[in-house]
Order: sequence, then C-alpha cells, then structure tokens
Amino acid sequence: MRRVVVTGLGVISPLGNDPDSLFSRLMAGESGIREVTTEEPKGRDTNVAGSVAFDPALYFPASQRLDHLDRVSQFSLAAAATAVKDAAIEITDDLKPRSGVSFGTGMGASNALEETFAQLLLRDPDRVKPLTVLKVMNNASAAHIAIQHSLGGPDLTYSCACSSSSVSIGEACRQIRHGYADVMIAGGAEAPLTFGFFKAWEAMHILAVPDPSDPAASCRPFARNRSGLVLGEGAAMVVLEEREMAIRRGARVYAEIVGYGSSNDHSHITKPSVDGQAHAMELALADAGLTPADVDYVNAHGTGTALNDVTETRAIKRVFGDRAYRVPVSSTKSMHGHLLGGAGALELVISLLAMHYKGVPPTAHLEVSDPECDLDYVPGRGRSDQDVRCVMSNSFAFGGTNAVLIARRA
Amino acid sequence: MSAVHGVEQAGVPTMTTTFERVQGILGKKYSLAAETITPESTLESLGLDSLDLIELLFDVEDEFQIRIPQDGGSGLKTATVQDIVDSIQSLVSPETPVEPAGGQ
Repeated sequence: MRRVVVTGLGVISPLGNDPDSLFSRLMAGESGIREVTTEEPKGRDTNVAGSVAFDPALYFPASQRLDHLDRVSQFSLAAAATAVKDAAIEITDDLKPRSGVSFGTGMGASNALEETFAQLLLRDPDRVKPLTVLKVMNNASAAHIAIQHSLGGPDLTYSCACSSSSVSIGEACRQIRHGYADVMIAGGAEAPLTFGFFKAWEAMHILAVPDPSDPAASCRPFARNRSGLVLGEGAAMVVLEEREMAIRRGARVYAEIVGYGSSNDHSHITKPSVDGQAHAMELALADAGLTPADVDYVNAHGTGTALNDVTETRAIKRVFGDRAYRVPVSSTKSMHGHLLGGAGALELVISLLAMHYKGVPPTAHLEVSDPECDLDYVPGRGRSDQDVRCVMSNSFAFGGTNAVLIARRA
Repeated sequence: MSAVHGVEQAGVPTMTTTFERVQGILGKKYSLAAETITPESTLESLGLDSLDLIELLFDVEDEFQIRIPQDGGSGLKTATVQDIVDSIQSLVSPETPVEPAGGQ
C-alpha cells in the first residue's frame, strides 16, 4: 500500500508563526491567549482570545493585492508557503498534475463577510466591494494556495466545524494512499475574531469567563474550575508526500500518517457522544493497524467546556482501557485557544513536534482537578526527554463530525 | 486623487474632462503613465484582466456618482477608454456638469 509522510510544516498561531517557537512556548506552559478588542457600531467590545501577531509584508510581495484576500486566506497562504519552504520541495511540471490541496475551515472569511454586511446595512445600502464573492467563498484559501504553488491535482475544501482540518488532512492522506495524488498541501485555518462572531459564540453560552486577574489563564481544560472555550485564530498546513517519493528525493521526514478515523455522533447538533468519539478513535487505530498500547501521546480535543472534557475522558477510557491512565493526554487549547476549523491541523502539527522534539506538551492552568476527569493531562509544564514514537490527535465538532489522526515516527 | 481634480491654466480654473478623470483612475490604480493611456487604448492593451475591469466599474461609479447597470460590463475587454468615457457621459444627466466626486 502507498504510504503517506509529512515533510513540511507551517503555522500561523497565537504562539508564534514558526513551529519551533510554537513548540518551545507550549512546553513552557506559556499562553497566547490575551484580551482582544473588536470595534462595533456602538463602541468597543473586549473579549479574551488566542490572537495572532501577523505581518503580511513578511509573506506577500508588495504587488500582492491583500484587499483581495480575507484574513483567513492570508493566514492559509502564509502557512502553506512556510510548509512548502520547510519541505524544500520543487513542484516540477511532471509533479503539478499529481499535487493538490486539502483545506478545512469552519467559518471561512468571517472578516470579509462581516465587513460586507456592515457596509450594506450600516453605511451604503446600495452596493458592496466588487470582488466580495471571490473573497468570501469557502474555497478561496485552497484556490489561492493551488495558484501560488502550481498544484493541478485535487483542490478540495472541507467544512465540518471544529474537525474541518483533521478531516482535510485525513482525506488528503487517502488521496495519496489511493493513488490520486503524490503530494498534498493539507491543513486549515480560521479567523473568527470579529464582533459578530464573538456575539454568536457568546450566545451559545460556552465561551470561558475571562479570568480577571490573568486573562491568559482563562481556558482551563479538564480542570474543575473550567468555564468554557476560548476562541483562537490562525492556520496550520503540512506537506504530505507519498513515502517512496519523499525518500527518493531525500526529503526530511517528520512522521508518517498511519491512521485516520471519521465518524458522526448522529445524535445531537452540539452535545458530544462517547460512542461517536470512541468510534472515531477505534477506526483510526484499526486503519493504522495499531493498538492503544502503541500510542505514546494523545492531543485531546479538550475544549474546556463542561461537557466536552468529561465526554472525551470517557471515550478515551472506553478505547484505551487501563492504558488510558498511563498515556499522557493534553489539551494545548489551554494555550492557543480553539482555532475551530484550523484546530485539528494545528494540533496535529503540535503532535508531530512532540515526536520531533521528544517532548509532551502540557495542559496549562490545570490546578484544580475534576474527579470526572482523572487521566494524566500533563498539568502545567511539558515533559522533556520522552520517547514519543506514536501520537493521536482528536478533533470533535458541532454537527457531530469526529476525526482522529494517528502519526508515527518515520 | 490629485490627478482628477481641476487644474489651473493661466490662473483660470478649468474643468477636468471625463477622459482625464478616467485616465487618472487608471493611472493611479494600475501605475500607468498618463501618456500611455489614450482614448484609443483598449483596456486589455493596458493590461487589465477581467477582475481589474470589475474593479474599474466600481471606481468609475465612485468617481462619477453613477450606477452602471448590470449589463454595463459586457464587452469591456475590447472596449477603449473612449467607450468608457461615452458610457459615463450617457449615465450622467445632461443638466449635471460632470464634477469630480467629493472634489471641491
């Protein structure tokens, strides 16, 4: 069977825009969550979020029309370019038709969409900016990545809320495994930190109460005093290659993606299900031909909501049995926030870096334990010098789509 | 938008022509030297692609405070700058002098 390896990584994240600094800050338990202010018609509104420091001039030539790209597409293109550069891959004429893009986003061009409605409803009810359609369509990011890197194979965008980019990576692996492509640039992005989107999430009553003394510590997954999720923005993209090809060209290989499981809860639009989550983990293990004993680290979905963390803990126990108490499970969302459609890709990258740097990143701000969440969540700071050979990354979503990826050191 | 404002000749303010204002929009947005933009230039020959043409219509609407009808963009690729000028003049009511938008 054709096998799939990861040869390049790119991130735009609340903890920096290169994988190395992202990982070292995670290991130190540093949080990228801070107070952010959005402008709205009646004044200003303050929230906590994992926001990104992003200078487009570092990623785009002066000739690039940035006003044609929503913030989410700017993130995506920057992360893709970083990953391609990291992979040191040249997309030759022969390779173009065999190379593609697999992209995930939950909410797409939030900023452009909101700006369009503000323009129409508050200022000029007659017309909006001329290329609005091209900016807000959900496949804009994937299309621009394909154009920039000359990728003539499959160019697909998946939208299944918070598992979008785990799905996009899993499906990209299938494109390569099943012979439709040799190279896939895969991942996802989200840029949801707008006034309207904050209000929409607020209305769901699942956003964390900002910690007044330390806003950076507002997201506390698996802790008894957790109060909800914290939104984050950013992008993560990886270069996936057919293994033999990567070896032939002497590529540096981070890891092999060995398992992908995809399931749906088919029960409730928001309420997570132990059955659905466990099913996705079991499918991924079966796909990889591995058992729970082989898994050295689980990057949990770990949103920090009351329901998610208990449900995920139960699902891990269901699948891992006694091993559940021995395998480290952490939620890095405690430090970068919830990137929604970009979350799965960012967390897979973090999981790959755990193998690369032989370290297990922590769950930050976990000081008050919850009797219903009784696994080893690696509280506080990361653990160095760990022989991490195999990782599992979980993503679960509103709508019930569960996606689990398993990677092994190559 | 200095290129589209009124210019002074011999101390007497004169009205900028519609052509000069279109020339100004094109020159500024696409970094073209004024002398390369003549009434006979086709938009294609000036290097504008299909998306540039859509944006040009938007800028023209802004500048002349007009609304170009939905079918007003057809055949633009082969249109000359003079065709654009003629269309603008047909959309601006004859009684209203063509003044720069928000200019003075």
